[in-house]
Amino acid sequence: MNRRVFITGYGVITAIGGNGPENFASLRDRKCGYGRLEFLETRYQDDIYCCEIKLSDEALCRRAGVPTGCGFTRTTLLGLIAIREAIASAGLTDREVRNAGLVSATTAGGIRELEKNFFERQDLQSSGDFLAFMDTVDPGEHMERLAAILGMKRYLATVSTACSSSANALLFGARLLKTGLADCMICGGAEALAKITINGFNALMILDREHCKPFDQNRCGLNLGEGAAYLVLEAEESLKRSGKKAIAELTGYANFNDAFHQTASSPEGAGALKAMRKTLNMAGINPSDVDYINAHGTGTENNDLSEGLALETLFGVNVPPFSSTKPYTGHTTSAAGSVEAAFCLMAFENDVIYPNINFKQPMEELNIRPTTALKTNAGLKNILTNSLGFGGSTTSLLFAKC
Amino acid sequence: MQTQTIEELIPQLKEQILERLVIEGMDPEELDEDMPLFGEVTGLDSIDALELVVMLEKCYGIKITDAKVARKILMTVRTIAEYVYEHREI
Amino acid sequence: MLTDQTIAGCHINGAGVISPQKTYDNRDFLSELTHYDDNILTCILPNFKDYLNPFQMRRLSRMLRMGLSAATICLREAGLKKPDAIITATGFGFQWDMGKFLTEILEQQEQQLTPTYFMQSTHNALSGLIALFFKCMGYNSTYTSRGFAFETALHDALLLLQEKEAQHVLVGSFDEVYHVQYTDYIRLGYIKREKTNNFRVFQAETEGALQGEGMAFFIMSDQPKPQSWCRLKNLHMVYRPSDYAGLATELIEFLRGNGLAPGDVDVLVNGVSGDIVRDRWNLDLQNNYFDHATAVRFKHLTGEYDTASSFGLWLGAKILKTQIVPQAVLASPVSTHGPLKTALFCNHYLGKYYSFFLLTRE
Repeated sequence: MNRRVFITGYGVITAIGGNGPENFASLRDRKCGYGRLEFLETRYQDDIYCCEIKLSDEALCRRAGVPTGCGFTRTTLLGLIAIREAIASAGLTDREVRNAGLVSATTAGGIRELEKNFFERQDLQSSGDFLAFMDTVDPGEHMERLAAILGMKRYLATVSTACSSSANALLFGARLLKTGLADCMICGGAEALAKITINGFNALMILDREHCKPFDQNRCGLNLGEGAAYLVLEAEESLKRSGKKAIAELTGYANFNDAFHQTASSPEGAGALKAMRKTLNMAGINPSDVDYINAHGTGTENNDLSEGLALETLFGVNVPPFSSTKPYTGHTTSAAGSVEAAFCLMAFENDVIYPNINFKQPMEELNIRPTTALKTNAGLKNILTNSLGFGGSTTSLLFAKC
Repeated sequence: MQTQTIEELIPQLKEQILERLVIEGMDPEELDEDMPLFGEVTGLDSIDALELVVMLEKCYGIKITDAKVARKILMTVRTIAEYVYEHREI
Repeated sequence: MLTDQTIAGCHINGAGVISPQKTYDNRDFLSELTHYDDNILTCILPNFKDYLNPFQMRRLSRMLRMGLSAATICLREAGLKKPDAIITATGFGFQWDMGKFLTEILEQQEQQLTPTYFMQSTHNALSGLIALFFKCMGYNSTYTSRGFAFETALHDALLLLQEKEAQHVLVGSFDEVYHVQYTDYIRLGYIKREKTNNFRVFQAETEGALQGEGMAFFIMSDQPKPQSWCRLKNLHMVYRPSDYAGLATELIEFLRGNGLAPGDVDVLVNGVSGDIVRDRWNLDLQNNYFDHATAVRFKHLTGEYDTASSFGLWLGAKILKTQIVPQAVLASPVSTHGPLKTALFCNHYLGKYYSFFLLTRE
């Protein structure tokens, strides 16, 4: 039961790039995806900027290689594009894909499409193009679509824990791999922007009307984004058989609950602290062995204080370089965990630490501050990443370079 | 626009608060107008605060967009009544 | 599709179920039955005031009140103050809150929206609320794998117990009736168009099931207790089997992997829904392998929904615990004489998701 979990490939699409290399180039060049919404209608189009993928649903269908008018939600399309890249990057054969398990995450699912015809859908007598999107609202639907296209039946699961969803998908997938259920698990998540998300976060008063500033004293909220990312997890035996080289090993993970408030984190970040501590214990490393932390760092008053204090408590004043990449991609909600995990893998491949953009003034409550310069030749061996969600969810993952 | 005094607003606000927060089985008179709304006794939280912000807009036309400002206004039923008295639009 | 055969299983030490029949009182076993004539079965609710005070209940939707109540009933039954971990499962989540928020967005032009509706519409709102209520900081997750959502949650709980990350895991599922989803399902033929009394659903011989809803919580523990209901020995999921023979083989192999043959099963809990088209294989399994066993079914009492397999688990477990087979669930005359020791639950959801649960009691 103590099989090791290796990552052999990944795929990612966000507002800063349609695939891994494009995303990395943007991260390196400080190119952010923040801007005016083009493909989603809302009264807040000029008021609330997001990190939107500048591709229409039709363009996403073409990129995903599926026909339009067949009820593929934007969430599913993003997922399909990213998962195909992950499979190709891991060099998986069709047969290996069919034998793999799938753990995918989303929360909004097909709500974006429901929003367009919500009232007509309720009327049995009405008909129209919207019928193509019948039965596509729930999160599990995208899992069925991905499975159908890839021919996967071995093990299918969908996780919906809001902003920590895809981190939990990776965690669950790793544990399933360790049981010997399959030699390969493809794990990650996808989420498209929707009116309900923009309005929900707006009603909670945690959106920044300007570009977000994680860990800054004057931060005032997050920017929303959309995206998808998947990682291919393989067992050691699978690597020996294929002779493949892994990018990294998932050596530690933990999931706790803050149990403090339905949407806010505890002031001292108790849940995040427990999750990070246990993750390091599991990997058998000390805090000083961590080379970089990709923080959740949404830019909200609450998260950054909570997570910041947790980081300071665990690592002390000599905290490793840490940054949030959310100014680049926005908060991709359910996809955030896997998007940022993919960024960690890219960090290993290029030996680079990403800057925490928009940081100007340190937070009064913290003695630590994020890293603001892009660091090359960083000598990265261990990277920690956090995902904290509504409902008190706190998940951490630790990757070790191979 | 209505011209109620602060003393007239207080019982009205108590009813509106209990209704907006869907607190069933409680007499509005049981709510003390000078007791901290977000303290230990009632256990109201930041989401309740947001709900009250929406209620103030719907019932009195008052728009509060800053969470920090909201916290100051919503301290007690009396502080809410005082703010409504000064700033109501409807 | 395989589930790890080395899973050690667990003990079900408590349950709390709220369904379209009166099931929230653990002392009772389907003695009072409710009839439904319009194809929609909705839950019979306990008195929430028995579990929550007015401030705790504030702003909570019906489903969240049900969830906290069911979790409380379950934990009280298991004699626990709080669990070590919480895992929930749902197909469609909190549809009413999502719908209310969406309606406000569309009718109020995205203004003066109720933040509570948004907050309570996220699928893990219940697992988060339970954690808050019982101050449980342990592992917490929510699965939405459609017809396997509850199965995934059970599987994760079994893994946690095996990993020794928890001793008592609270696992629960919930799904609610909602007209938008229900309308889609009528269009797709998943729910019957013709009005059918629920007690006649298996005689109707028409396509589609009845629309149901329900909430079920269980405490799954690594050790038995005097009040243990039974053992969940193992579970297995089969997604879109290519044909009946393939499904039957999976079932036989599942039993064999657990040291059993069909003849060892005393009680078969059959997840047939009254959908003449999609029930076919489940009926064939029952007729071909289990005509020696006492067969029971339950979807005439609950309707059909993504996580209805949780009710099947409850039914099988309660039969083993009480050694009683209620008349209301009998699908065939009682065949087994002597103690009921082994129950097999065979479920299907929309003829796509097939799962088997193996329950035993010493």
